[in-house]
Amino acid sequence: MARTSIRSFLPWLDVVAIAAWGVLLLYYWLSEKLFLLIHPNYIGLTVAAGIFLLFVSGLKGLFLLRSSRSRQPSAPIQHMTLFPPGLGSLLLLTVAIAGLLITPRAFASQTALDRGVTDAITLTRVKPQSFRASTRTEDKTLIDWIRTLQVYPEPDAYTGQKAKVQGFVVYPPNLPEQYLLLTRFVITCCAADAYPVSLPVKLTTGDRKSYSPDGWLEVEGQMLTETLDNKRQLTLQAKSLKSIPEPKNPYNY
Amino acid sequence: MTQLNSAFTLFLSLLVEAIPFLLLGVLFSGLLQFFVDERRLLAILPKNPLLGAFTGSCIGFLFPVCECGNVPVARRLLMQGAPVSVAIGFLLAAPTINPIVFWATWTAFRDQPEIVFLRVGFSLAIATVIGFIFSVQTDLRPLLQPGVASAITMRSQSADSTPSLLQSGTYFLGQSAKPLITDPSELQAAMMATVSKPMSFRLRLLLENTVQEMRELGAVLILGSAIAALVQVFVPRDLILSLGQSPITSILAMILLAGVVSICSTVDSFFALSFASTFTSGSLVAFLVFGPMIDLKGVGLMLSIFKPRAIFYLFALAAQLTFILTLFINLYIS
Repeated sequence: MARTSIRSFLPWLDVVAIAAWGVLLLYYWLSEKLFLLIHPNYIGLTVAAGIFLLFVSGLKGLFLLRSSRSRQPSAPIQHMTLFPPGLGSLLLLTVAIAGLLITPRAFASQTALDRGVTDAITLTRVKPQSFRASTRTEDKTLIDWIRTLQVYPEPDAYTGQKAKVQGFVVYPPNLPEQYLLLTRFVITCCAADAYPVSLPVKLTTGDRKSYSPDGWLEVEGQMLTETLDNKRQLTLQAKSLKSIPEPKNPYNY
Repeated sequence: MTQLNSAFTLFLSLLVEAIPFLLLGVLFSGLLQFFVDERRLLAILPKNPLLGAFTGSCIGFLFPVCECGNVPVARRLLMQGAPVSVAIGFLLAAPTINPIVFWATWTAFRDQPEIVFLRVGFSLAIATVIGFIFSVQTDLRPLLQPGVASAITMRSQSADSTPSLLQSGTYFLGQSAKPLITDPSELQAAMMATVSKPMSFRLRLLLENTVQEMRELGAVLILGSAIAALVQVFVPRDLILSLGQSPITSILAMILLAGVVSICSTVDSFFALSFASTFTSGSLVAFLVFGPMIDLKGVGLMLSIFKPRAIFYLFALAAQLTFILTLFINLYIS
């Protein structure tokens, strides 16, 4: 008897597991958490997948309901090639529920250090067309600065230019207390390939202790060339530092 | 704790990115099953193993799926009785040889078009060679998971009509002596002659098939992504990258990275671009060729077709061929 009830319960587990994934994808989209996970280009695809999963699960549920009403024997219990019956759906359902309960968090300074924070980043993963040099240097974002440096790496060329950039604080392990790294992550596809880019910031007063790691800052100041860690580097001399809330979309592209 | 949370975020991001592509693959596989007449398809496919492997590698152009989507399609091809060479060729080449990936690679490596063509050429060559090698094994069943193997057994049995009592299945008292098939792949195999059935019936089966494959492949995708996320967070990336700049170690490092990072073939060219200045061209091509064929996430999916032994053969062959070809690039061309 117990066996029959498990048998009639298993197809419903499929329905619930698939619906849970549909809900999870749409929930991430509506709560804007998808930005933390994937590149905006793929959001449409994910939303479509979420809607489709809900549709499939609803249709399957409808069929199950009908066949149980008309007392037809439902489809025979299916064996799985890798998992015993039900385990696959259970795994899907568990992960979906975990995804709903645990909030994905944007990567922070620890990950940045793990992945190697570099200023003279030799990489543009993004299509070159998206590069735009704006005439007002204060309008440049952190990524714009890094890309400009890639095109013309001589730091002296930018000395004296005004800048206003946003990012989170990373303590560089090999620089004096006066410096911090203003960092952002760039993603091309999903968080799996996020890589950090950063600009050294020179504090005029006090040391970096007053700005905790991972805190988001908007720094205004002037560019100058410093020799840090035996390397000539473009550095932002801070005039004003303002704490800002973490943006809803912490990555850059 | 932060690292655990990063691992979880990474894990979710891989899943959220991959599930739409997996869904596409499952749908393509379903469509192939229910709307393509298997006999007609098999009649078109060449019987010659080398030609078959090459054709299989090119089928990717018809099914624009990445490596999360090619496994269900390859499994379907095998169960529908396609030659081994065709199925293996498709499995290895489809993630690379398709319009979307070609376009993405072109976008990323506009400045180095040779990388785009080398990627496509090498993938075709390697997939064809491996497909050809596997076709030497005329009976692939010992290398396959029982479910897939029994579907093939079923097909050959219907030809030489084994007595029904010797077939596996469930018998019900008071009903005919014919066993009731309870294995899903056998069920699918039995349903294969569905092209002639009415549309509503076919759509219903398409739904069942989608649910079943989503459940099965979704679960292995979860396992694969979990491993990839853990390795990425707990094994420092420097360790992989510091392996070297030399023609040989750079290729080995990139093959390893491709296997570990497990990103979809549609987007991996952007990822590879980030190493363009620090790594040799040969090693970039190695990353782009090997990654779509075999990676941690994909191995999980492949386990739904093959036994571990066969996956090891695939891995060893693909890695060696990639290594030799890209080493040639490093030493003699660039």
